Amino acid sequence: MRKKLSKWKRSLQVRNGLLILILAAVLIQINSAVQYFFARNGIAQEVEQLAKTELKVKNMEILQVVKSVETAVNNMSWIIERQIDKPDSLYMIERLLVSQNNMLTGAFIGFVADYYPERGRWFEPYVKRYDDGTLIERQIGSENHDYLNAQWFLDGIAADSGYWSEPYLDNEGAEGMICSYTLPVHDADGKTIALIGVDISLNWLVDMFITKDNNKQSSVLVSRNGYILACPDKTLVMKTTINEITDQMNDTTVDRITNSMLQGDSGHAEVRNDRGEKSYIYYSPVEGGTGWSMAVVFADKEIYRGLHTVAFQLTLLMILGLALMSFIMYRAARGYMRLQTINAEKERIGSELRIASNIQMGMLPKTFPPYPDRDEVSMFGSLVSAKEVGGDLYDFYIRDEQLFFCIGDVSGKGVPASLVMAVTRSLFRMVSAHEYAPDKMIMQMNNAMSEMNESSMFVTLFVGVLNLRSGLLRYCNAGHCPVALMNKTVELLPVDANIPVGLMPDWKYSIQQTFLQPNDTIFLYTDGLTEAENLTHELFGEARMMKVLQTVSRSPQELIANVTDAIHAFVGNAEQSDDITLLAIQFNKYLNDTTKTNDIQTLTLPNNVETVPQLSSFIEDMAEKHGVDPSVIMNINLAIEEVVVNVMNYAYPKDIVGEVNITATYENRMLIFTIRDSGVPFDPTSATSPDIDLSVDERPIGGLGIFLVRQIMDEISYSYENNQNVLTLKKKI
Amino acid sequence: MNTIIKEQNGELIAIFDGRLDTAAAVQTEKDLAPLANCAGKNIVLDCNALDYISSSGLRLFLTILKNAKVQGSKVFIAGMNNDIRNVFSMTGFTQLFEFR
Repeated sequence: MRKKLSKWKRSLQVRNGLLILILAAVLIQINSAVQYFFARNGIAQEVEQLAKTELKVKNMEILQVVKSVETAVNNMSWIIERQIDKPDSLYMIERLLVSQNNMLTGAFIGFVADYYPERGRWFEPYVKRYDDGTLIERQIGSENHDYLNAQWFLDGIAADSGYWSEPYLDNEGAEGMICSYTLPVHDADGKTIALIGVDISLNWLVDMFITKDNNKQSSVLVSRNGYILACPDKTLVMKTTINEITDQMNDTTVDRITNSMLQGDSGHAEVRNDRGEKSYIYYSPVEGGTGWSMAVVFADKEIYRGLHTVAFQLTLLMILGLALMSFIMYRAARGYMRLQTINAEKERIGSELRIASNIQMGMLPKTFPPYPDRDEVSMFGSLVSAKEVGGDLYDFYIRDEQLFFCIGDVSGKGVPASLVMAVTRSLFRMVSAHEYAPDKMIMQMNNAMSEMNESSMFVTLFVGVLNLRSGLLRYCNAGHCPVALMNKTVELLPVDANIPVGLMPDWKYSIQQTFLQPNDTIFLYTDGLTEAENLTHELFGEARMMKVLQTVSRSPQELIANVTDAIHAFVGNAEQSDDITLLAIQFNKYLNDTTKTNDIQTLTLPNNVETVPQLSSFIEDMAEKHGVDPSVIMNINLAIEEVVVNVMNYAYPKDIVGEVNITATYENRMLIFTIRDSGVPFDPTSATSPDIDLSVDERPIGGLGIFLVRQIMDEISYSYENNQNVLTLKKKI
Repeated sequence: MNTIIKEQNGELIAIFDGRLDTAAAVQTEKDLAPLANCAGKNIVLDCNALDYISSSGLRLFLTILKNAKVQGSKVFIAGMNNDIRNVFSMTGFTQLFEFR
């Protein structure tokens, strides 16, 4: 499920990333499209302008030539009309005309047939300019050169005004393309007698149209009949008509343009060639009488080549940008995902730590007051871990009218320490369930923990057992901080130097004891208190703690609150570096002793002194359970042993097996032992005491037994009931 | 309960280790037999490791003392803990023995 979810999340992220990318791409594309559109429009307008200018300029240039030629010829025609009767002088006029106008390659005057009868049917004086600049004059009209039937002549005469011939290739070819302009010459009667004409080389036209052309644009100039006069492809010049070319194209638009051009119209159109490449054609007629028309063609591809290049570069840039962007996004997303994974992991560990912390805190007594029904003792504990889980522990509970408690600090911090803490706490509960002596508990715990201690972790531990009847506090300190005893004064309980738990198996821990008086309080803590640091790395210290303890309340809950406040005041904003555990126990008063326990222990032994060790452990268990001082236990043991051994030795006849029965109970602050036997009636209380002041020589070996019993016990009574000796011994504790 | 007897620097030393109760007293009495012929040598009863003593034990101690005195030997008690010394005191034994 988790995997599925993460996969879904992942795909969502990828989708979001893609969405952003697409959006960016679309925005950039729209932007470039708009730019492209406007740029294209701008270019289109510019091209149109350029085309019009181009056409106008060419028109002007051509017109200038045409006009100058027309003017020159017109002027000369007037002179010729004057000199008409001097045919030979006409050469001079022609020379003048040609020499004055570089454009002209020749001048001629073609007279109508038989105008000068003496000259024959044909008379056409002609001046020609050769390439080297020399002018040669000759009459060229003849039967072979029958100009009278030449088209230009017929057309010129027919026009009866200035007439531009269709361009033609010079007969001799050397001069290239030539065009003639003719003007009729009239006699005094107004009758046309000749055509004066000039030949113009049109090579300049070709140059004009070629030089200015380039890839972007090309121009074409056609004659009135559609012959190509100039175009980029020189081979076409004069060889073909535009109709011939356009007819092959099978394009109505082109045909239309061609017709329109030949009719002398102007305009523009869009066409496509076979390959689908678009071109724009602008055309207009050449002014003047030539009847020429020209067109400028712009290849769409070429016009917009720059734009397309820029657009291509922009697109490339955009793709690169998007690629970069997607790469960055991918990296970012991956980083984010990794971060998320790490966060999830962290969160999981965090939540597990929180659970661990809850479990750990659950191991500690947490309801206060823990024993609302009891007024003999009150206590309060607090554990503040530096991390989620810690290595500190404390515990307490009441069993058999004794308060078992401990406080400990596991070496190290965090999870490892917390595990050892849990083990320690469990062990404490386990061993204290059947043991009364703190040193023995710690020894058992030590042995258990030393065995499994592979990581050399250890616990400083203080275990105490407080007898609520007597106020006897027995304790064992395994390397833990000393405990403060607070009554009118505050002092540290003396502690033996025992090693911490878990280091060395079979270490013999020592037990210590003291009696608490009503209202005495003991204060236990871990070194997190004394080693709490403030911002200047100063330690709270034992001295400061003792000083604080002088002023605080003796009531556990308030005491802990007061000490906690003192720590906070000292530490300020410094980070807590170690777990801090505080435990306060106040012994309020002795347990109300009128309560009688139902706890009666019984032991039955045969009349065999070899079984005496059983008696010893029976008595020690009983006494320890009720918190009897160990030295007192020894005395009780001694006394009971005396009376029991006495029964064993003397109550029954030799070699007769008999029993001795011992019961032990607690009542009214007294341990009560009752010894019963079915042997011969005997009242040990009647025995006389030995004189203990006698010298060695005088002292009898025996007779000490009942004397010791009297010395040790507080009450002795004897009765004989139901054929049994019943001896009752009581000991106040 | 373990009892070891050894001779050191011309003294007989008895080292007690454990609980000297009535059950143990029988064996301990046998273990202490070498002390019967002390012949003027001082006897040291080393009680450092003695945890407990019953009246049977006290009787053994008194027997040793009486016997030694007859033979001109002195008996010293060494390293006795407070609880046992307390028993000695109750029974007036502290006045009979010399303590080291």
